[in-house]
Amino acid sequence: MSPTTTTEASAERKLARRRGAGQRRTSLFAHGEPLVWLTGGALALAVVMILGLLLLVLRQGLPTFWPSEVVQVSTVAGGVHAGEVADVDVYRPEAHVLDALPEAVAARARASLAERDGLSERRMLRTGNYELTGTHYTWVSDFELAEETRPEWILVVERLENGRFYGTPRSIAVQGTTTEGDAQLVWDQFERHHDAARERWQVKRELETVEIGEVNRLIEAARLELREVELAHGVDSEPWRAAQRELEQRTHSAEAEFQRLRREIDALTEAGRGSTLTLVSADGASTTLALEEIVRAYPANRLSTAERIGVYLSRLAEFLFDEPREANSEGGVFPAMFGTVLMTLIMAVLVVPFGVLAALYLREYAKPGAVVSAVRIAINNLAGVPSIVFGVFGLGFFCYIVGANVDELLFSAKLPTPTYGKGGLMWASLTLALLTLPVVIVPTEEALSAVPRSMREGSFACGATKWQTIWRIVLPRALPGIMTGMILALARGAGEVAPLMLVGAVKLAPELPLDTHWPFLHPERSFMHLGFHIYDLGFQSQNSEAAKPMVYTTTLLLIGIVVALNVLAIWIRARLRRRFQGSQL
Amino acid sequence: MIAQSRALALERATLAPGHSEPHARVPMTTANPLSGRVFEAIGRNQPFTPETHAALASEELVLEIERFDLWYGKSRALHAISMAVPRGKVTAMIGPSGCGKSTLLRSVNRMNDLIDSVRIAGEMRLNGDPIYAPGQDVIELRKRIGMVFQKPNPFPMSIFENVIYPLRIDGERDKHVLAGVCESSLRGAGLWDEVKDRLNDSALRLSGGQQQRLCIARAISAEPEVLLLDEPCSALDPIATGRIEDLIEELKGNYSILMVTHNMQQAARTSDYTAFMYLGRLVEYGPTDDIFLQPHLKETEDYISGRFG
Ligand SMILES: Nc1ncnc2c1ncn2[C@@H]1O[C@H](COP(=O)(O)OP(=O)(O)OP(=O)(O)O)[C@@H](O)[C@H]1O
Ligand SMILES: [Mg+2]
Repeated sequence: MSPTTTTEASAERKLARRRGAGQRRTSLFAHGEPLVWLTGGALALAVVMILGLLLLVLRQGLPTFWPSEVVQVSTVAGGVHAGEVADVDVYRPEAHVLDALPEAVAARARASLAERDGLSERRMLRTGNYELTGTHYTWVSDFELAEETRPEWILVVERLENGRFYGTPRSIAVQGTTTEGDAQLVWDQFERHHDAARERWQVKRELETVEIGEVNRLIEAARLELREVELAHGVDSEPWRAAQRELEQRTHSAEAEFQRLRREIDALTEAGRGSTLTLVSADGASTTLALEEIVRAYPANRLSTAERIGVYLSRLAEFLFDEPREANSEGGVFPAMFGTVLMTLIMAVLVVPFGVLAALYLREYAKPGAVVSAVRIAINNLAGVPSIVFGVFGLGFFCYIVGANVDELLFSAKLPTPTYGKGGLMWASLTLALLTLPVVIVPTEEALSAVPRSMREGSFACGATKWQTIWRIVLPRALPGIMTGMILALARGAGEVAPLMLVGAVKLAPELPLDTHWPFLHPERSFMHLGFHIYDLGFQSQNSEAAKPMVYTTTLLLIGIVVALNVLAIWIRARLRRRFQGSQL
Repeated sequence: MIAQSRALALERATLAPGHSEPHARVPMTTANPLSGRVFEAIGRNQPFTPETHAALASEELVLEIERFDLWYGKSRALHAISMAVPRGKVTAMIGPSGCGKSTLLRSVNRMNDLIDSVRIAGEMRLNGDPIYAPGQDVIELRKRIGMVFQKPNPFPMSIFENVIYPLRIDGERDKHVLAGVCESSLRGAGLWDEVKDRLNDSALRLSGGQQQRLCIARAISAEPEVLLLDEPCSALDPIATGRIEDLIEELKGNYSILMVTHNMQQAARTSDYTAFMYLGRLVEYGPTDDIFLQPHLKETEDYISGRFG
């Protein structure tokens, strides 16, 4: 074989191989298709879980305020209950329950149970009328049902105490004149006079809290002054006697003011006493309610859809803008919402500069080495410390050490009542700032290290100092990354509950931490928080069945607030990004 | 005339390697006895005096480098560089990759201070002021020197703010002064007409060539005594490169320029003096015409004609 033919042969072989390759398909893995599926699947799973959680909360939280119809059932045992269906489930009734029934009914029940493998459906009715029955809910099994109706005129009454009342109106008294008999007439009267009664009650509450509170504040201020003088000059000194006289004078004039307010309140109470609504419950018991104690009432089975939406919106508005009542299980969550937002914002204001400064030192000034690495690892691990530990730290350090010292220095006159030496907005914000510190430092450091070296060198070459370079070049460029850290911190901080229970969140705060009294923001006050509110509703409430829907609704609100805060921050970040964006070279 | 003859020589030189009889070319000058054995001497680490042409003696100097050594940790990047940069002229530095051109350039404005492992010996003087004197204020020094990098590095701010950055950090507040400097610098960098209507746009939105001219505008806005250019065109296309070269031509006279380039044509076209470096040493340094048309060392000729390595 000559060399020419050899090369020809090898060329042909090569060609054949190429052709063969053309016919074979490139392997699936080389195309990366399975990896697309793998990664896509992982994402899909994450999305499904998030959506599932969201759907659950939406499903449970949104219908809370919807006014459903009221059913009235009578059981074979002779009981009559009226209420809204709160829950439906399937259970296996025990034998002795059936045995207790009259013979004929028991036989029928057994037969129907046998058809369904011994299972029966039962409904939980929210029957209210707590002061009559001692319970808010009643279970009714299908097999013990004798009759079910939807009485036209049954009212759902939400009131200040004892939960809801379900009953048919019998009579209404307005300042002594009574209307009786026809439900329609009574209802018309109620609608006409209820608003006025509520307004009177509102005025009364205003007098009791705000006005009397104001008088108390004045006396308290005088008492504090006296105490301060006493601490400075001692008892029986000349200034002390002056302060003493001042206090007496103030107390005297306050007493007059008290009397005046009392009289006003009494007059209002008197005016309200004559206005009542008498209702008959399903089982025939009649109850008389003061008009002013009724928050809302509606004939549930007569409402059109538009009216139902009206009730829904009215309850939603109450939820968002009012104070809670009935141990938080009814009414609004405004103070908790307010506390959450305020605390989260203060936390952000504290943690962002702090975290950025720390990250700047770590990334820009510290000489890289073992110590810096150790510090970095420690910071990263800080994110893994259980949040309750931060709460313990906050309580022990901020409240009992820092706070106690602040009290001694600045508020000694008030001692032994602590001012800062207890949980409060300030300490809660600081504790959460510590908690979220790693969440800010890590992305900030990343953003700092992503600033191109060439930019820094360009700045140095122009004769900029290190700080000028950081301030004018590095920080603006890293700002979107810093914002990312802030967004993460907001989300983390707003949803945190455990440490707050130790450092200032309370079940019921008498005052908002922000009001019209100097210095407007009161960082020492304890506050309400949605996360804590959820915990309290879900696990601490006596009427936990009634609180359950509120748990979901409040959760929904908390999620909404976190999302709103984040959207705001993301929007700001997008604006910043746009400013620094351009063709990349 | 001169440019033409240079281009001719370059063409001849670059064509030469493909020529069938390379030995037919006669070295133009062999005044230096080491010619042809320089790399060998450097390889054996023998002391060796760079070939500096006499024409430099008559120039007024803006920057003097004297027996300058530099180490990155243990490895030595510069070996006793002595070089005088004339005022108002363009001086080009050429040499194979890694020979220390950037290192030398960055030593002039002490950018190497930013690297911890760097150690230096020897002296540099900017208009007579010792750059490495113990009490020297580095910040003040850098303000007297403009620098343009290989990759355009505009700052993440507006075009206007980019140009006047050196004045901003100096604390200049007067709006009229800033606007005036911005315009004159942008005009000086040949960018004014393209950007005068969008001075407040982000500089990052400019094209690569525009960004590089912006960096030049920024470098000249503080009226530096010497302008350092480190391969200013290497990231640009031929048209943008042409514009920058024209710009260097225009800046000549007003500014003293020290530039690094890998592009022989560019060195030939734009520079007055050329320095050839190799493995951290200055090998030959003289008027560009001489370096390109009649280098004293065979090694320089080989490198310029591409018969090297
Ligand atoms: N930061 C550094 N640390 C250690 N060694 C370095 C550093 N920078 C440069 N060097 C080394 O110093 C030598 C000179 O590098 P320099 O960047 O000055 O070369 P150059 O001539 O500019 O090359 P090029 O033409 O490729 O840009 C090289 O061997 C390089 O590896
Ligand atoms: Mg270089």
